[in-house]
Amino acid sequence: MAYVARQDGLHARRPPLMKRIADGAAPYLYSAPALILIVTVMLVPLALGVSYAFRDIQLLNPFSGAFIGLDHFRALSQDQAFYRALRNTLWWTGASVFLQFLLGLILALLLDKPFYGRGLAQALVFLPWAVPSFLAGLNWSWLFNPVVGPLPHWFYALGLMSEPSNILSDPQLAMWGPIIANVWWGIPFFAITLLAALQAIPRDLYEAASIDGAGPVQRFLSITLPFLAPTIAITILLRTVWISNFADLIIVMTNGGPADRTQIVASYIFTQAFKRLDFGYASAIALVLLALLLAYSMLIVILRQWLLSKD
Amino acid sequence: MASIDIANIRKSYGIHPVLHDVDLKIGDGEFVVLVGPSGCGKSTLLRMIAGLESVTSGEIRIAGKRVNELAPKDRDIAMVFQSYALYPHMSVANNMSYSLRLRKVAKEKIASVVSGAASKLGLDPLLERRPRALSGGQRQRVAMGRAIVREPKAFLFDEPLSNLDARLREQMRAEIKKLHKDLGATSIYVTHDQIEAMTLADRIVAMNGGFVQQVGSPLDLYDRPANLFVAGFIGSPGMNFFEGTYRNGQSPRFETKGGVTIPAQVHAELADGASATLGIRPEHVEIGTTAPDALKATVDLVEPTGFGIILHLSFGKAIFKAFTNDRAFLKASGEIPVRLPPERLHFFDADGNRV
Repeated sequence: MAYVARQDGLHARRPPLMKRIADGAAPYLYSAPALILIVTVMLVPLALGVSYAFRDIQLLNPFSGAFIGLDHFRALSQDQAFYRALRNTLWWTGASVFLQFLLGLILALLLDKPFYGRGLAQALVFLPWAVPSFLAGLNWSWLFNPVVGPLPHWFYALGLMSEPSNILSDPQLAMWGPIIANVWWGIPFFAITLLAALQAIPRDLYEAASIDGAGPVQRFLSITLPFLAPTIAITILLRTVWISNFADLIIVMTNGGPADRTQIVASYIFTQAFKRLDFGYASAIALVLLALLLAYSMLIVILRQWLLSKD
Repeated sequence: MASIDIANIRKSYGIHPVLHDVDLKIGDGEFVVLVGPSGCGKSTLLRMIAGLESVTSGEIRIAGKRVNELAPKDRDIAMVFQSYALYPHMSVANNMSYSLRLRKVAKEKIASVVSGAASKLGLDPLLERRPRALSGGQRQRVAMGRAIVREPKAFLFDEPLSNLDARLREQMRAEIKKLHKDLGATSIYVTHDQIEAMTLADRIVAMNGGFVQQVGSPLDLYDRPANLFVAGFIGSPGMNFFEGTYRNGQSPRFETKGGVTIPAQVHAELADGASATLGIRPEHVEIGTTAPDALKATVDLVEPTGFGIILHLSFGKAIFKAFTNDRAFLKASGEIPVRLPPERLHFFDADGNRV
């Protein structure tokens, strides 16, 4: 109160105008460098990309560039290749995330128990993550190639295939090639994050539970899972967004083929932009993908809030 | 309720032995406290009884049945942890009922048992809360509630009060004692705090370096410590020790290394001239005495505790403490007369064992 009273007293003599402007502007001036940097680096390209979606931009046509409104989106709504890519994206993302998560969780649980040589095993397990995705894609496409790779011959020997052929050229199976490569490449991400979360669980909780009468399965369900749940939610969210945007392996291994059977939205954007050089149309597809992923993320966030409030 | 027999228990981690031939019989309904400094093996012994550590050799029997190979859940014991180990994602009620739910006890039974335990521990208004919304003392109560709902054969406590502040520790100590009186359950309690051991125990097991040093009632350990370790560990402020030689003959006496002669009683076990350690509790040192056999000691420091006064004294280089309730000694300085009553002296031979 004393402070307020003194302020009132000073009100009679207001500071000079310049000083008041300087005082008012100070916070904005302090934050300006960071804000300008963020705007130029992040928002300008984003706005530019969004604007392409409403313009006719073809690199090979010097007279393109005009504003065409929603034409791209109208074309997109008629584009069967886009719908197939959307379905493929769902399949590609779902299968990859589910398998990466499942195997990553199993790996993390195994690595959580002490055993001889655990340090080395951990280092080896995390190795795929360090392999550049293009190299991983090349590697796996060779492994699947019956001329140079062993996998078709092994599948044949196991009776899984009637002849040692390349699954990447089989329309029914082609999607499994990039999915397997992606699972191999992405398991370490789940294993690392889940292992870190596992090791943060206090050991005496397990001891208390085992004295309370819980077996291994009950301990897993009533302690491990609840503790991992927040990590699982956030890693699955991250990886889902990431993988649905992740076209490297598909571009390298199948290039969307055969007959667009492995074309996902991200690789479709790549094909439109860099093969057909139609940046406008590619931007329109990218915008739709962005909207879908935002909607998905919001859904997860709302779900999480709801779960937390239910507690 | 059940008795617990521990026979020739040994424990090693690799080649490092941590427990050597521990033998202990704990009666039905008895409250036994394992006490000792950090690393003495007391927690390891408790965890072996619980089934959380394997037994290297020897046998543990609960109610006469060998349990060495049984999983913790099949031993029918309950344990209270130092960290409480409450399940953070479960409410207080669910924490307490977890063991019963695992055993598929009927819902009505669970509800009545949990509410009974909650009212006994004063947890009724907190049943729907999460552990993180509770204070340390309340968490401690929940941990005890989780143990008592099952009516197990025995309770194991692993330093349950270490994380509480001094005032709360005192209060919970009394509550544990009351609870034990009510339930009459066999209890094993591990602590490094000798006050807890003295106040709670029917019997104390003093341990050091993986060996049991002495087993007995609290006052046994206080009045007749079996060796130098127990003598020094039990009691606060700790017992004073003087090294020197025992002299037999006309007037048995003890000569300290510093050349002070202290009259003593006859100790036939000690030969004339045997080197020995003399011990006396600070509260037994008589100060300001007018007795003719009084010695002169220098006052180094005066520590008032409110309840009494701790005087830091010395005979030359040999320092010792005296405890008194007489506030006149607050101003003590210089030299004061001191008497060490012969009947209050403890003698330990060269190996540190009581004679």
